[in-house]
Amino acid sequence: MTGQNKKIIAFCCAESAYRAADRAGRLGIHYPDNVRVIRVPCAGRVSVLHILKAFEKGAAGVLVMGCQEGACRHLTGNIRAKERAKYAEDLLKEVGINGQRVKVVNFGPDMAQKFAREIEEMVEKIKEE
Amino acid sequence: MVIAERKPLGEIRNMLAGYKRILVVGCGTCVTICWAGGEKEVGILSSQLRLASSKDGNELSIIEAVVERQCEKEMVEELRDKVQEVDAILSMGCGVGVQTIADIFEEKPIFPALNTTFIGMPEAEGLWTEKCGACGDCLLYWTGGICPVVRCAKGLLNGPCGGTRKGGKCEIDPEKDCAWVLIYRRLERQGRLDLMRKYYEPKNYRAVKRPGKVQAMQA
Amino acid sequence: MPVKIGLFLCDCGGSLRNIDFPKIRENLAKLEDIAFVKISHNLCLEEGEKAIASRILGENVIRVVIAACSPELCEDKFMRLLEGLGLNPNLLSIANIREQCSWAHERDVTKKALELIRMAVNKARLLQAVERGEVPVNKEVLVVGGGFSGVKSALELSQLGIRTTIVERESALGGKLRELGGFYGVETSPKEMLGSMIKAIEEDKNIEVLTSAEVARVQGGAGDFTVRIRKGGKESSRSFGAIIFATGYRTEILPQDFEVEPGGNIISQQKLVQMLQAPKKSERRPETIGFALDFSDENCRLPTLSTLNNALLVKEKLGSEVYVFCKNLKVDSEGAEKLYQEARDRGVVFLKFEKPPQIYGENGQVKVEAKDVLLGEEVTLLCDLLVAEEKTLPSEGTESLSSMLNLEIDSRGFYQAENIHLYPVASERKGIYFVGNCRGDLDLARASTDVSSAVMNIYEFLSPEGAIVEVEKVKADPQKCRACLTCIRICPHKAIQLVRVDSEKWVAKIYDLACDRCGICAAICPAKAIKFEGYSDEQILAEVEAIGEGL
Repeated sequence: MTGQNKKIIAFCCAESAYRAADRAGRLGIHYPDNVRVIRVPCAGRVSVLHILKAFEKGAAGVLVMGCQEGACRHLTGNIRAKERAKYAEDLLKEVGINGQRVKVVNFGPDMAQKFAREIEEMVEKIKEE
Repeated sequence: MVIAERKPLGEIRNMLAGYKRILVVGCGTCVTICWAGGEKEVGILSSQLRLASSKDGNELSIIEAVVERQCEKEMVEELRDKVQEVDAILSMGCGVGVQTIADIFEEKPIFPALNTTFIGMPEAEGLWTEKCGACGDCLLYWTGGICPVVRCAKGLLNGPCGGTRKGGKCEIDPEKDCAWVLIYRRLERQGRLDLMRKYYEPKNYRAVKRPGKVQAMQA
Repeated sequence: MPVKIGLFLCDCGGSLRNIDFPKIRENLAKLEDIAFVKISHNLCLEEGEKAIASRILGENVIRVVIAACSPELCEDKFMRLLEGLGLNPNLLSIANIREQCSWAHERDVTKKALELIRMAVNKARLLQAVERGEVPVNKEVLVVGGGFSGVKSALELSQLGIRTTIVERESALGGKLRELGGFYGVETSPKEMLGSMIKAIEEDKNIEVLTSAEVARVQGGAGDFTVRIRKGGKESSRSFGAIIFATGYRTEILPQDFEVEPGGNIISQQKLVQMLQAPKKSERRPETIGFALDFSDENCRLPTLSTLNNALLVKEKLGSEVYVFCKNLKVDSEGAEKLYQEARDRGVVFLKFEKPPQIYGENGQVKVEAKDVLLGEEVTLLCDLLVAEEKTLPSEGTESLSSMLNLEIDSRGFYQAENIHLYPVASERKGIYFVGNCRGDLDLARASTDVSSAVMNIYEFLSPEGAIVEVEKVKADPQKCRACLTCIRICPHKAIQLVRVDSEKWVAKIYDLACDRCGICAAICPAKAIKFEGYSDEQILAEVEAIGEGL
């Protein structure tokens, strides 16, 4: 396994990112296998607590993947996710976990390449420890 | 209601240094509402503490709990079983809650995770502002419902200081509205400008009775 | 007693070769609460369905985990299958071992597949049944605005047997139909159109009309709106299941574009039409008339129509030289291209610019200086009259009405925040719709389409099927709720309200019909009082836990 058993948890919104991930599989676009996707109805469902617990349970990086700004069906879900991720990053810094381990990414449902790229990028980042 | 905010993690960890088993207890009233010490915040702080401890290689076991109102002896009493299993208590309640728990469980060290800041209300999402200074001598009738004790930077009781900036902003803090401009406009709107003629003697802070006591009539 | 879970693994016709299914089965069968692990080749085909049915009925499982292709493809199908077998459809958890596992990685993915299935199992253990039930829905509709779109909405709804009430703030119905001279490309005049509409309304028993009336307050949510209507100084309360906003538009010459002085030679379209219809004998015939179009922004559908039409009118009545200064021509309305061609054929000259022209007054004429994009040159023209563009803007009162209802307006003040999920007629609040020019610069045909669209949406919404919901799928626990009002304030669909429970305590109540199941409230609740079944904190964290567990 890549990244020496280190895992990334990607919370993916059902409207966009989850579909982009599916599409990557369908198009045969490969990416590192140490990512675990958790499907959520909206990026706004993900709370700061979920992000922290993910790290508590051993995740080395967390991605929160939602719709593009202005295209969230629930208007502000993706924007809230962005703010919560920033807050979670600050909380993690307080604990001594630095280095942008939490990232929010905006997707359209067809962005298969982007999905794969984001996973690769985060995997690279968590290798630097 | 009472508004509080969480202390930085570093400060909290310093307090807890050496303790291996702790109870993190939130309060379900004011601090839940101002997002400082409710069940979710208890979860977040506990998560941070566990992450930090495991990073440092220290042992730390945490019991999480929430009391409906930490300022009530009967409700705090419900923590008894949990308190027996820990070496120290970290309260996420306001200063009153911390002290109530301390009084009930005298033998256990208790630490405050929050700084209690003021009495206030929500102004915008996630933003709480101070409205009342608990001065014990409310003069809101004379000031059209706007408190100069808290909202005037100098706490003036008899009109503006004369240093009001352009746009009705405070001389000391240009981000703030001058309270007396607000008071004037409010009274003007209500047609009660004559109330501004009332003269207030300076408050006598020397003989302030602390701690305050209020005895209500028996119902 | 541990929950009995039935586990089905699909190898997609044997094609998922990088997963060792027997190894997975071996690992999972060890778990105490797994009743069985069945490997299938095609769960989605009849043979697969039969296998699921026989196993579930045979072994009395109460939770089901399926490891197969993406839930995007199979979730609905398997949920219906379970329902048919007497099991609550929400007691199903799906692990995506195809698109997001086998197909996404090259090497052996048995370990990852196993983990994904463990995640689904962990979640399944905590799933609770959610029942479907019918919510009482008020079948009457409120139409705010009695112009073309509002009246048409009421008439079309009536044809489907739905009763409506039109609330119009003027003293008579009609809106812009009472003002406009004619429609481009439409034979019937606005006056005739209005006449026949009003006749139809008067004869329609399903439609109630309140003129000189306004909406004062709206409470409640989809299926049950309580509206206070103010008429003649008095207010009355009415209940409606859905609301259509058809509050229309106004036109305005934007001050940043032009300064129009009375008696000057920069005039409005209206003034031009007046002049053409009733020319003063004493006035000299203007030899050159210029039209300004699309100076400040490209929302110029209606201005384009009036410009083209009036340019032709000028040619017909005065025979003057006509120039149209424009950045863009919005000719996507029905008949607009034809109108443009006709104008060109009649000798109307179109000057296309990139930067808005400079306008000066000179010796009683209007001097227009612009760089013509096609010529690539600076062009200067002297016009006797310049007709200013009148922008389409939302009606007066749109802003206050929208804030009363907590609805977003876009950057131009029109309803319906610029969000692709809402187009064409929906709002972020279920049960509330926008039709016609209150949501943009639309022509008649588009406004008509809006009406039909909204009417069909409402018909569905008010039908018996429309009232069926998953009851209390997202619920605020009255014991834990502190009435902090956070969820009520931030719900993007305004589906949460403060209610009294047991005549005492105030708690937040989430209305199933209005709720769009996003979970933003559950994430933000500081007391963790809101449970979103299927995506609760515990269920999400159970998935996270499985990731840490390893093999």
